[in-house]
Amino acid sequence: MGILRNPYLRQIRRKPSSILGPLTIIILLCYLLFGTSNDPSNNSNNGQLSNNNLNIQNKYSYKPKNKNLFSRAPSDLIPNILPGDHISHFDLNKLASTPMAVYNKEKVLILSPMSKFLNQYWANLLKLTYPRELIELGFIVPRNSDGDKVLNFLEVAIKQVQTGPKEKRFSKITILRQDNDSIRSQKEKDRHALSIQKERRSSMALARNSLLFTTLSPFTSWVLWLDADIVESPTTLIQDLIAHDKPVISANCYQRFFDDSKKKESIRPYDFNNWVESEEGLKIASNMRDDEIIVEGYANIATYRPLMAHFYDANGDVNTEMQLDGIGGAAVLVKADVHRDGAMFPPFPFYHLIETEGFAKMTKRLGYEVFGLPNYLVYHYNE
Amino acid sequence: MNSLFSFKSKVFPETIPKLKLSLMLFLIILILSIKYFLSNLHFDYIPNLDNVPNTFYYDLANYQGSPDGWQRYEKVLFCVPLRDAESHLPMFFGHMKNLTYPHNLIDLAFLVSDSKDDTMGSLRSHLQEIQNDPNPNLHFGEIEIYEKDFGQIIGQGFSDRHGFAAQGPRRKLMARARNWLWTVAIKPYHSWVYWRDADVETVPSTIIEDLMHHDKDVIVPNVWRPLPDWLGNQQPYDLNSWQESDGGLQLANTLDEDAVIVEGYLEYATWRPHLAYLRDPYGDPEVEMPLDGIGGVSILSKAKVFRTGTHFPAFSFEKHAETEAFGKMCKRMSYSVVGLPHYVIWHIYEPSTDDLKHMEWMAQEEARQKEEEKLRKIYQKSWNQGFEDVQDIWKEDRINILKNTDMSKHRKIVVDWSGIDEFDPIEEEVKIVDTNSKQDKEKEKEKEMEIEKEKEKDKDKDKKDEKDKGKKEIDTSDSQQSSDKDKKSKKNQDQLNKQHVNDNDKVLADFDS
Repeated sequence: MGILRNPYLRQIRRKPSSILGPLTIIILLCYLLFGTSNDPSNNSNNGQLSNNNLNIQNKYSYKPKNKNLFSRAPSDLIPNILPGDHISHFDLNKLASTPMAVYNKEKVLILSPMSKFLNQYWANLLKLTYPRELIELGFIVPRNSDGDKVLNFLEVAIKQVQTGPKEKRFSKITILRQDNDSIRSQKEKDRHALSIQKERRSSMALARNSLLFTTLSPFTSWVLWLDADIVESPTTLIQDLIAHDKPVISANCYQRFFDDSKKKESIRPYDFNNWVESEEGLKIASNMRDDEIIVEGYANIATYRPLMAHFYDANGDVNTEMQLDGIGGAAVLVKADVHRDGAMFPPFPFYHLIETEGFAKMTKRLGYEVFGLPNYLVYHYNE
Repeated sequence: MNSLFSFKSKVFPETIPKLKLSLMLFLIILILSIKYFLSNLHFDYIPNLDNVPNTFYYDLANYQGSPDGWQRYEKVLFCVPLRDAESHLPMFFGHMKNLTYPHNLIDLAFLVSDSKDDTMGSLRSHLQEIQNDPNPNLHFGEIEIYEKDFGQIIGQGFSDRHGFAAQGPRRKLMARARNWLWTVAIKPYHSWVYWRDADVETVPSTIIEDLMHHDKDVIVPNVWRPLPDWLGNQQPYDLNSWQESDGGLQLANTLDEDAVIVEGYLEYATWRPHLAYLRDPYGDPEVEMPLDGIGGVSILSKAKVFRTGTHFPAFSFEKHAETEAFGKMCKRMSYSVVGLPHYVIWHIYEPSTDDLKHMEWMAQEEARQKEEEKLRKIYQKSWNQGFEDVQDIWKEDRINILKNTDMSKHRKIVVDWSGIDEFDPIEEEVKIVDTNSKQDKEKEKEKEMEIEKEKEKDKDKDKKDEKDKGKKEIDTSDSQQSSDKDKKSKKNQDQLNKQHVNDNDKVLADFDS
């Protein structure tokens, strides 16, 4: 006994139950909460199945497993079993993306990754004049408390529209919760720090892809990428962009602000990811390591790329087009075929480009052209 | 709990500080553990959209894919690209019926493109049949058939498809087709995506479970094909599953941006280790091998791989296209890509143009050999008859025949010595005439013998004719031979006669001396 100088150890030695008691309780609790439990109602079904495959029976168990108390039973997560002859057939040859979209009843899928719900965004979305029975919406929210907040707001807003008059309902709305952990901090300053740009945009690319490919349906003709912080756009945004009949076309993204020097409301360029490639940019890229990226809008990487944001002319023709090599995601209309061919948002450096800029590059690699409308403005939220 | 209370009741006053200590310890552990569980358990807000029309909420974290997915109601999207595959469909649906993965958890997606045969009709009837089967365990989940023609650049013959020059554009086109299939088919609630070609001949019914339990992001089995005997019975089929090598990387650097390296062609020697060649028929099927490029015959991947944007590049991605570039892209997306060298499925054998030529030649050769065999039988028969061995018969006949020509026993030459010393030319003449008349008699005898011989031969001929009428050639040659023999025998006779004369002369000469 003399060896045990430590009073805690001596206590444990003298009364082992003092430590064993709590431990057993904790283990019991764990078992109750997180242990696997079996749903007896499923076992009969399972019995039939194993009868069919007597020879395989020994190799794998087909006994269903349920998850712990706090998560929903997996059987709830899949749609119900379908009727016996549920076979649908789609002729994708007849699917088209034409400038006469409304007339041809072409479906548009509007996709918005959303980490913050803005009432102005929602109001602007509802103002769009494209027929709602031809519009599908897709949202993806991050896996954190921001996402919870967004879901709360979205739920209310969507319920209002979808339970309202039938002709004002959207054709379909899909809300997704992102599977991978998103970066917690989404503050303005952090968001634009060069050091975390790559990580942030990579995560953003994953979110965009997850949203796109789970919502893209066999009858989608157009995909409109509309950022959740675009608070103002022409009400005919979809028709206007469709009218250009381009594989990929991006609007110019500006921001309204109060100009202190002039003491009046003014606008300034916001999205610098719409650009044309420059000699300098290519030179920088050729000297980079494979896993490095070029991000536009930072003084320490001077690419001298012509940026579409600077080509805005208040008196110019709104229909002016310019060819681009990189685009931002603020308001971009894409023919669904481009996505079906495989154009996605690379979460890895693709020709030293990532996310939307990488998407533009991949689109070009697939043989499509990318355009921008320098005089056609959408407005970003001012924080 | 009881132990804790009993522990309390036995406490003496002097142990109170120690009791406090143990209580403290318990509380701290409890709080820490609860905090730990709470931090793990993120109580995600789940919106209630049950009564809202056309609105759906999915938490993608529920569809990550686990190694025992069949026990966890995990849905598999089963993707099958089809082109002119009508003939393969019965075999394919045979495999489908036997799949052990719960059928209601499998959603089927077919893409029928550029088909000239009735792939569509056949596919529909097969699906109707299986979905209306009285056994509900055979019914699959959601089934979607897509039709899309991409305009075919290359024919579908084996050599058309597998020629070197055709590979680049062909691969890019197939990549597009695959992308069109999965991008429209994949739903938020899919946990796994399984790609399968229709022309797989032999495959275990547990294939999905066998691949799934490895818990890899992307996994492929080894693909071989059976061959006819004359080609060596079996052969690796899918050479697109490989590990990158220095040779491959060096080669990639020398090629231009749009070039596509295709594995398994002499034109691009990359010295890469191939999954197919590492097969050991007796090896452990669980053995895994990390890969960089993969083939598309049978791929199981977690749905998140596709959801997050990995696709089959229809352009040159790191100098590859389609499934090989898919492997490369998975690596860029930091997903695990694995092959099973000793777990083999068997592709059907389709002969190449060279094989077809060879097979045609083989068929002709076989027919020719049969014909030759038939002819040889006939020839053999006539040969045996035409060149019958008569040695033994001749031994017996010989004495009978030759004894008639041996005159020494039958006839004694009587030499009249009278008057030999006195030479009288007239008498001499008479004598010579005398001997001549004798010789004539001999000749007459010999002629008679010859007639007898010929009669014998005629009899033989008759026998032969009876045996075989068709062999005129041989008969004629026979008769030629016999006429030759006649001539020879005549010559012999002449010689004999001459000898006789000579003998007589000799005798005379001897006498002279």
